[in-house]
Amino acid sequence: MSLFTEPFLTALVLGAVTAGLPLLLAGLGEQMSERAGVLNVGIEGMMLAGAYGGFLVAYRSGSIPLGLFGGATCGGLVAALMALFCVRLALSQIVVGIALTLAAEGLTALLHHVQFSQTYPRLPAAATLPIPLLSAMPVVGPALFDRPLIVYLALACVPALSRLYRETHFGLALQAAGDAPAALDAAGVDVLRTRMAAVLATGVLAGTGGAFMAEIGAGLFVPFMTNGAGFIGIVLAMLARGRPLWVLWGALLFGMCLSLATALQVVGVDIPSDVIQMIPFAAVMAVLVAFGRRASLPAALGVPYRRGER
Amino acid sequence: MRLLTRSILGSVFAVSIALCGSVHAADVKAVAILTPEQGTDFGWNQQGVTALKEAAAKEGVKALVAENLGYGDVRPTLREMAEDGASLIIAHASGYNTAAPEIAEETKVPVAVTDKPEAMKPGLVADYTMSGHQGAYLAGRLAAKMTRTGTVGIVVSGEPPGWNSQSAAFAQGAKAEKPGITIRYAVIGPAAYSDAAGGKRVTEAVIAAGADVIFGQGNGSSFGMLEAVETTKAADGGKVWFIDVIGDKSSLDKGNLLSSVLWNLTPVFTAMIDDLKANTFGTHGYAIKLADNSVGLLKTSHIPDKVWAELQALREEVISGKIKVEPQFDASAVHALVTAVAAK
Repeated sequence: MSLFTEPFLTALVLGAVTAGLPLLLAGLGEQMSERAGVLNVGIEGMMLAGAYGGFLVAYRSGSIPLGLFGGATCGGLVAALMALFCVRLALSQIVVGIALTLAAEGLTALLHHVQFSQTYPRLPAAATLPIPLLSAMPVVGPALFDRPLIVYLALACVPALSRLYRETHFGLALQAAGDAPAALDAAGVDVLRTRMAAVLATGVLAGTGGAFMAEIGAGLFVPFMTNGAGFIGIVLAMLARGRPLWVLWGALLFGMCLSLATALQVVGVDIPSDVIQMIPFAAVMAVLVAFGRRASLPAALGVPYRRGER
Repeated sequence: MRLLTRSILGSVFAVSIALCGSVHAADVKAVAILTPEQGTDFGWNQQGVTALKEAAAKEGVKALVAENLGYGDVRPTLREMAEDGASLIIAHASGYNTAAPEIAEETKVPVAVTDKPEAMKPGLVADYTMSGHQGAYLAGRLAAKMTRTGTVGIVVSGEPPGWNSQSAAFAQGAKAEKPGITIRYAVIGPAAYSDAAGGKRVTEAVIAAGADVIFGQGNGSSFGMLEAVETTKAADGGKVWFIDVIGDKSSLDKGNLLSSVLWNLTPVFTAMIDDLKANTFGTHGYAIKLADNSVGLLKTSHIPDKVWAELQALREEVISGKIKVEPQFDASAVHALVTAVAAK
């Protein structure tokens, strides 16, 4: 069909990666928290804070990388509150997570209203880092190998985290904090500190994902713009059950299905758009449930740890 | 005799119903509006807030505004507005049209909802499902006149009835102007009103499919569409035009805003207040149209004078009824129409 030209296919693959990357970062972050026993429901708020902070810094400084750093910092700040309330003070992880998300929604909308509601500034396209030879390939070249540095760094997080979980003491401590925190405590490792580190790392990753969405995905910030991406990240992490690579596949699959849905509509396939829009959610659930059944969630997930309690 | 008795009883019953569920003329002291996003989006929310304030000032009543409420449960806010003395609450989001009638029953304060005409109840619930289809028809004619590639796109962040109607009218207008035109249609998500990243992504795909004029319908997501047309070249390497809806984003334009189907809801909200005073609230729907300028097409410097003059002549023909533009609120009708148009 003449519609499937190289520019159109490139746009679809590019769109899939751009849509999937924030989910990848959010999912990897959530996975780390869950591994340590913290169900981080506040990740949507962390992404939104990261989106706002990232956009603000990028717009004021004129630097996309600085903006991404700003977004990571804002996500980390929201995560610090989560760590304080849920890990240090042992409050309900679900209640605090929801409260932080609502607070982030309200605060970022208010700040946007004060600063940008009359001007809606937009950022220029981010500079890319083309990989020699690969970037010249048709369709996948510009979509995958001629992207901003953050895209490569985010993808590199997957093997890095896999190795961290498998081969380092901190990785083992994370797993023990989620599976048997009392045993970790008995081994002389501070459970609360381990969990707090995991939650903070989650905030940094989610904040970066939010900043990517605002700076590169949209080129601007609007209130509520994460549109539930954090919750999709939670689903990916839950279904991937501890395996970073599965989060990557899930995020890319989700992004590809979004592009597929767009392609079907643009081609003019006459089926209800609700059915088409359901494809990404149904596909990710089906694939991850089918292939991820053997892994299990941490035994102490969602359970606050208090020394001496059993 | 039996007929007369029936008529009298019927009239008494109707008047009783109206009086029980409605607010007396003297009671209309304040009108309220609830919006999901800030009233600064150059679109649906801003038009709602601005129109309510103008209507309230015109009618000499107080305006109460609750903005940025999101798309969740607004029952507490509805109750608060009722307690604060609102005589009418406008629930300005299709996502509120389940909660608002419930609270109306509970508090007996009349509400106006959108996209749910079946919820209408005399004296208590009115519907204002809006459609600027007449303006969208002209936008379609404009897009067809301005396209260089022969392909135009429609990007929407959802499929509420009002937007379906405008999408259909846009397609009809484009087809009427240029029968061989190709129309690409894409929905960002089931309710992706604030999904700016999704707006940009989908618009880029539609541009890559050949469109050089985008008719975009979205709240916050429309800014993502705008970003996409500003940063993406058309298939012929030239500029991509953007036609917006409801509001005027001229002050934000970087050279790609071709026009907008402008809405003015002030006459609608004013009519609601008048209906409350006349005890006719909830007995009929409301409409916006070219004839009273509650719908219009934004004139920008990017539209050549000759094209604008032709559009003005078409506008007169729509108003006079010579050109008939019927609203089509159903999404499936839009899909069929867009597919048929694209296939030509």
